[in-house]
Amino acid sequence: MANDATRSGKGKILILATESCAYPGANSVGQAHSSYPANTYILRVRAPVLFPEKFYLDCFKKGISGIIIMSCGEECPYEGAYHALAKRIDRVFQMMKAHNLDIRRLRLTSICTVCNRAFLKEVNDMNALIQELGPPEFKEAA
Amino acid sequence: MADNNQKDPEPKVGVYICHCGGNISDHVDVAKVAQEAEKLTGVSVAHTNMFMCSDPGQELIQKDIKDGKINRVVVASCAPSLHELTFRSAIKRAGMNPYLYDHANIREQDSWVHHGDPATEKAVALVAAAVSKARHLEPLEPIRVDARNHATVIGGGVAGLRAALDLSRRGIQVALVEKSPFLGGRVAHLNRVNPTGEKAADLIRPLAEAVCNDAGIQVYTCSRVVRFEGYVGNFKLGLKRQPPETPEDLAKLEKWAESGKKEGDYLPFAGYYPQKVPNTAEETEISTGAIVFATGFKTYEPRKGEFGFQENPEVIPLPAFIEAVAKEKPKGGTLTLNGRPIRRVAFIHCVGSRQIPGLHEPDDQGNLNEYCSRTCCSATLQAAIEIREAFPETRVLEYYRDIRTYGRGQEDQYERAADHHVLFFRYEPEAPPVVERAAGGTYPLTVTVKDTLTFGETVEAGVDLVVLAVGMEPNPIQDLIEMMKLPVGADRFLQEVHPKLRPVELANTGILLAGTCQAPMDMGEACNAAQAAAVKAATLLSKGYVELDPFVAKVNEEKCTGTGACVSACPVEAITLKEAEHQGKKIQRARVNPALCTGCGICVAECPNNAIDVMGWTLKQYEEMVDAIVAA
Ligand SMILES: Cc1cc2nc3c(=O)[nH]c(=O)nc-3n(C[C@H](O)[C@H](O)[C@H](O)COP(=O)(O)OP(=O)(O)OC[C@H]3O[C@@H](n4cnc5c(N)ncnc54)[C@H](O)[C@@H]3O)c2cc1C
Ligand code: SF4
Repeated sequence: MANDATRSGKGKILILATESCAYPGANSVGQAHSSYPANTYILRVRAPVLFPEKFYLDCFKKGISGIIIMSCGEECPYEGAYHALAKRIDRVFQMMKAHNLDIRRLRLTSICTVCNRAFLKEVNDMNALIQELGPPEFKEAA
Repeated sequence: MADNNQKDPEPKVGVYICHCGGNISDHVDVAKVAQEAEKLTGVSVAHTNMFMCSDPGQELIQKDIKDGKINRVVVASCAPSLHELTFRSAIKRAGMNPYLYDHANIREQDSWVHHGDPATEKAVALVAAAVSKARHLEPLEPIRVDARNHATVIGGGVAGLRAALDLSRRGIQVALVEKSPFLGGRVAHLNRVNPTGEKAADLIRPLAEAVCNDAGIQVYTCSRVVRFEGYVGNFKLGLKRQPPETPEDLAKLEKWAESGKKEGDYLPFAGYYPQKVPNTAEETEISTGAIVFATGFKTYEPRKGEFGFQENPEVIPLPAFIEAVAKEKPKGGTLTLNGRPIRRVAFIHCVGSRQIPGLHEPDDQGNLNEYCSRTCCSATLQAAIEIREAFPETRVLEYYRDIRTYGRGQEDQYERAADHHVLFFRYEPEAPPVVERAAGGTYPLTVTVKDTLTFGETVEAGVDLVVLAVGMEPNPIQDLIEMMKLPVGADRFLQEVHPKLRPVELANTGILLAGTCQAPMDMGEACNAAQAAAVKAATLLSKGYVELDPFVAKVNEEKCTGTGACVSACPVEAITLKEAEHQGKKIQRARVNPALCTGCGICVAECPNNAIDVMGWTLKQYEEMVDAIVAA
């Protein structure tokens, strides 16, 4: 089954939002009733450092067009987690290149609990990008 | 009653969709969402209700549990921060494990931001994702660890004193650890406090006396924490008590000796002196259940040449000015400092605060203080008013960027200052006031500013003294931050879990925050935080055990081959390798100490065998959610 978002080729954006910063940040956008594209799916995470490289590649393989990691950035409540995450995402970028994926499809950003404007900008930018790029074409690495 | 827990092999998910009055149902076709949910694998029932959080809403879930229809629950409603606990408790009361539950946020993240069909489609997808996760949930038990009925407060400023006293009054034994020989912190370096005008001495002395006379509180001055191990309920701290050696402590001790006062007394601009200083260093160990950080702040030290600082003896920071003025008897006329009449004094605001990248110079470590220090505007106005009242011949000029008298009663201070003919100039950060030696004339210094209150006119004034309203920086506690692995914000202050919802807790369970070690605060706010931290610590310890969220890492013993990848990845040293038997052979296997684990999941990504997961937030559950979203 595919809903309008996929049928019309709009693509889906997965948002990994930290429970202490970006997830309440997304709620704050909701409280302000600021609308943004509906092809965005927010998953609440404790710290995105949990996801191995393969998770991201699998998402693209499954057909997710864009992923925004909305972390707490330097404000991460877990010691050392943000730096480990930033390093991991660098490795994911390398792997994405090997699989012929535009690395702009994955974005690491930090969103605070009241960063409404930044949230909207990230979502709109990613949406514009995936409309331009179309669905991801995952090539098995040589 | 049906067994609604883990033993039931087949997940039977109940889905409950809330109208939230019309907040959700005005934009989301909730009946359609329920219809679609019923078609999902594993879903046994799907209901809608006007208010799921109401008693009838909760009873709907409880009835389905009791009737044996469901063994997993998904509620689709508002943000989980609002009602996750409500629904978990309802489930628990109905005899089911409260962790067999997931939440779909279809209000803040759907009906309030999308409309029409896309909103309904998204709700269907979010519910499908939650159902996928719920199908893979396992029952969890909160982690229970014994807790000592003892708390340690680090820092004996107003926040630390307040926290210690409140803890003790709740029946908790307290150790108060203060690095200097004196109690009272920075407040003991004030004369009168804004906005009440009370003497700092009248506030600190009784508080410190109450602490020192409290049988439940052990005060350790000249002491620092030098070792740390353990976890909430069972921390072990090594304390080192040693003869004072910092120039500031030695100077204060000298003043104390000159005053002829005995232990158990207070000296303004030194503090409360509870006990003799040690002659030799000694170490002790204390076992404690919770730790309250109250290590406070230090004032910004201006760079040489910043507003003429250290180039002109007539440029001094606000704390030095407050101390100097306090020594002067109010006798009318003109203020005299060190025998020098001060006919005009200029206060410059925002020194070392609200620094702007590219405009201000970072310190040696590359730090800029981009935050507002919040207390300096009021403290400056307080000083200005005191001068005008006690020495009416001394004129006061204030150079500010913005006046931030944000607290109750503080705006009145601004008005009072204006009534006392304090003269205000406003500057832009790009064009700060320039302090120079006067080339003659009657005043030693001139202050020149482009005053935006007079539409950019350049105003030059001769003054006898320039006072810099220096901001706050966190006290240097890098040793403790590293030892206890504490999170700090970009501003270098300690970082709470959530600024609004969990404002005095650190992610390290059992370690709490009180006062200005967390952010600039005035005394009232510091005591607010201290009281909150004390209550939080007391609640944590009062049962004799602590229950921790079960969202910690767990090793899959079948899969673990003892690579140790998780051990080296874990930032809080919660995982160790232990010898174990596997098919008759001795192997190493990872073991998690759940009381230490913060559940960040860093190990999950590192394990080459996928042998470790965070309970309640497993990788598999996320993968299933992604599949559901892709399929929706
Ligand atoms: C110039 C100025 C004027 C002010 N005027 C006012 C006013 O008028 N009204 C008002 O409400 N507020 C005022 N404030 C703010 C007020 O000073 C603070 O709110 C208050 O001091 C905060 O208390 P605290 O306990 O958090 O920190 P502090 O007062 O800094 O106390 C911290 C204590 O912890 C100790 N410590 C630090 N590190 C360690 C360690 N590693 N181990 C053990 N002990 C340690 C320190 O020695 C100190 O005793 C003013 C501040 C300034 C700078
Ligand atoms: S309180 Fe006033 S002087 Fe202090 S940093 Fe904020 S604006 Fe500047």
